[in-house]
Amino acid sequence: MSPLLLAPLGLAALAAWLLPLLIHLVRRVELETTPFAALRWIGARVQPQRRLRFERPWLLLLRLLLLGLLALLLARLALETPPAAPSARVYVVPGADRDAAAAAFDVADAGWHWLAPGFPRLDEPAPTGPVAVASLLREADARLPAGATLRVVVPRRLGGLDGERVGVAHPLEWRVVDGESPAAAASPAEPVRVAVRHAPGDAGGPRYAEALVAAWNAREPGRYTLDVAPAGTPLDAGASWLFWLAPTRSTEVDDWIRRGGSAVLVTAGEDGDPLWRDATGRVAARERRIGAGRAIALPGAFTPEALPQLLDPAFPADLRAALAGPAPAPDRADASAVQPVPRTDAAAALAGIDRPVRTLDAWLALAIAAAALVERLVAVRRREDGA
Amino acid sequence: MADTLIPPDVRARLRGLRLATRMPAGGDGLGQHSSRSRGAGLEFAQYRAYEPGDEPRRIDWKLYARSDRYFVREAERDSPLTAWIVLDATGSMAQRDRREAERDKLDAARTLAACTIELALQQGDRFGLVMAGDPLQVVPAGSGARQRDRCRLALAQRRSGGGWPSDAALRPLFERMAPGSLIVFLSDFFDAAAIDLATRLALARREVASLQLIASDEHDFPFHGSHRFVEQESGAERRVDADGVRADFLQRFAAARAQLAQRFASAGIRHAEHLLSEPADAPLRRLFDPRALAAGGAR
Repeated sequence: MSPLLLAPLGLAALAAWLLPLLIHLVRRVELETTPFAALRWIGARVQPQRRLRFERPWLLLLRLLLLGLLALLLARLALETPPAAPSARVYVVPGADRDAAAAAFDVADAGWHWLAPGFPRLDEPAPTGPVAVASLLREADARLPAGATLRVVVPRRLGGLDGERVGVAHPLEWRVVDGESPAAAASPAEPVRVAVRHAPGDAGGPRYAEALVAAWNAREPGRYTLDVAPAGTPLDAGASWLFWLAPTRSTEVDDWIRRGGSAVLVTAGEDGDPLWRDATGRVAARERRIGAGRAIALPGAFTPEALPQLLDPAFPADLRAALAGPAPAPDRADASAVQPVPRTDAAAALAGIDRPVRTLDAWLALAIAAAALVERLVAVRRREDGA
Repeated sequence: MADTLIPPDVRARLRGLRLATRMPAGGDGLGQHSSRSRGAGLEFAQYRAYEPGDEPRRIDWKLYARSDRYFVREAERDSPLTAWIVLDATGSMAQRDRREAERDKLDAARTLAACTIELALQQGDRFGLVMAGDPLQVVPAGSGARQRDRCRLALAQRRSGGGWPSDAALRPLFERMAPGSLIVFLSDFFDAAAIDLATRLALARREVASLQLIASDEHDFPFHGSHRFVEQESGAERRVDADGVRADFLQRFAAARAQLAQRFASAGIRHAEHLLSEPADAPLRRLFDPRALAAGGAR
């Protein structure tokens, strides 16, 4: 049970020690004047007259103690509770074959956990859906007490990985069994409602939009439904994509995008990251995130004159990809290929992370109150004596 | 009226004291002090042969009966004494004890002077008073109760201040104080000129008895902590830590007193110290103790 400071900068409050020291010192410097005829026999060479001495040293010590306790409170003094005896723990990645996993390690039942958020026990139902295995591996590694071994049972086809190879600070036992990480439910081609809002009297824009949707429906029949209306008609809740073909747009449209919609805007002067460039290198479309949604800004009107790409055969596919957004990153791999690598540099960094501590704030506050009380008592009593 | 100069208990103890000189006095008139003059008196001195002109009643007729010659019996004539009191009234005599703040060295010196005057008056001696300081003040010698009152008035009105007078100012004192007179010197002897004057008076065949007044603060140095000590006469000051200098001061001050006592002893000056905390008759008793007088007179 070793003490440690959660906020060591709080010790800077110890600079306040200067105050009582000065108070007790300054009073000392005042000289008492005494007429003294036998002055010549007072040695002039004995002149250490400003020896560092303090008046009422016990009171001074009490005040220093009080300030020290306050500084400790500010520095968040805590006691590190001794780490539990490193009980053997096994993490099973959901999707691994239960029977094969049970045979992998000879560990008591209490030591088995799912590698899932919160690390539930293995006798609880297996978490459904994908889990961020790489992140959870790092967390489990950080939570392990020093000297323990990280034991993991993984299915052969491991999902939930991210771009970085997992590094662990503890010794690792990595067992691969048959199985496959649950994947995100592959979304069947859910219907997409495409709303088109055009300036009143504009017939060209909607026509191209209709052609685009028709082109998409040619590949995925019946998936895209179209809703063409002049600007000002409210957008229905089911709409997920929007063609806004009017030069100005209301804040409702912005709010709709911000809630998660994808929109094609034809207003000029929009900013954003370049999405496409034409043959001359000029930016032909910009993409920008607005809240949870995305806006694809095309400069100029939705006509072939303003937008030559409109006639490009690949344009419908490009625009569909842009509207659908980026595909999810690949996160699956063969488990034996992504075995975490040991990171010696991380061991020290992990040493102090997330260890169980018990703060002493309440006790410190009590001690401060008691010290303040005693300090007042001592100070007042001595003042009465002096009076 | 209560006597503020001499406390009643001191006055009571003064009765047993006597002002006395070691050297025979040479004055004239009848008094209590032994003199060099021979003549009628109580103390036998010698026989001498009769000379014409001697009074027939002074012839020792019993001796004539034995030896058939005229012898005149001679006795030492007791003579009166002139006692001078030299009182230091310089600024340094304003030194007072912290414990007894309303009485300074000058007050103690006043009491000693009054006691001495009282003794001289009892013995029928002449006495005078010199108060050295700024200004130098002299009450010419005289005798009797009125002279005492004059001296006591001058004492009561005197305030301490200034430094020791110059030699030129003090020179007339040698004319006023005849050789053989008793000089009681009351001072703290912190002025070298005062020591010098006492020594010169002693060498010029005046009988000098010196009393050094020492305050308890000087004797014990009961100070603690940082102090700013200021000298009364020069205004010089010294800032010291009292605890740090105590041992050194006590040692040096004691050495200085011992040196003074030795210097006075070699000059034939009777010397005693008076602590302000002790009664006024104690130093006088030490100074005029007949036994000490006899021992000192054997030099």
